[in-house]
Amino acid sequence: MGASELRLCRPAQTRSVAPIRRALRAFLEALAFDGPALDDITTAAGEALANAAEHAYAQDTTRRRRDVELLARFERGELRVEVSDGGSFIERSPLPGRGFGLRIIRAIAYQIQIETSHGTCVRMLFPGPLSKS
Amino acid sequence: MNESKTIATIRLAGELDIGRKREMRDALALSENARAVLLDLSDVTYADSTALTELLRFCAAAQGADMPIAILIAAPQFLRLVQYAGLATAFRIFQDRGDALHYLSECAGT
Repeated sequence: MGASELRLCRPAQTRSVAPIRRALRAFLEALAFDGPALDDITTAAGEALANAAEHAYAQDTTRRRRDVELLARFERGELRVEVSDGGSFIERSPLPGRGFGLRIIRAIAYQIQIETSHGTCVRMLFPGPLSKS
Repeated sequence: MNESKTIATIRLAGELDIGRKREMRDALALSENARAVLLDLSDVTYADSTALTELLRFCAAAQGADMPIAILIAAPQFLRLVQYAGLATAFRIFQDRGDALHYLSECAGT
């Protein structure tokens, strides 16, 4: 089986998060993800998207375009999900009532990388569904 | 918010994510006429860390007012989210409405 890919780019706004998340879920369902894995991957991606929508451009006073991009690629039994933006990355410590997003992602993804050289890219890896591995 | 026998019920449904942050904050308000609150999230189909943050804020305010809170959650995604965030002991979560009401009745002394 070849690679399957979903790529979406939307304005980095809080109202963009749910439609992107739903599109990812439909993509995963088509790949036979189901049950807790389907929910958890959607949750992890949702956290990265929410973080980008809320924080990436919070300090940006320019009028440039502010987007968030999701890339999901399933290949060789592994799912890679990347959420990237052109803004600033702030990893908040888990202070009371804040900073749960990355903790949740780290609890779900078996590998996570955060690149901040050009904007921010949160790259998450997940095992594929058993039927596809 | 519906109130009977001093237990108020707040219901939220659907997807509780960052796009509904303001709505959540507005809904999660303490009532002066209630002695306890059942937060009925049994029809929530998805939640994210924004929802957890708002729940923490609400529960902290309730604790300050000495008002017991019971949270009713049905969605497995939501229940796991709480675990992943390390908040399993931060809330009184129930999956059965009767159990939640019994807990609140005991706490409120009704």
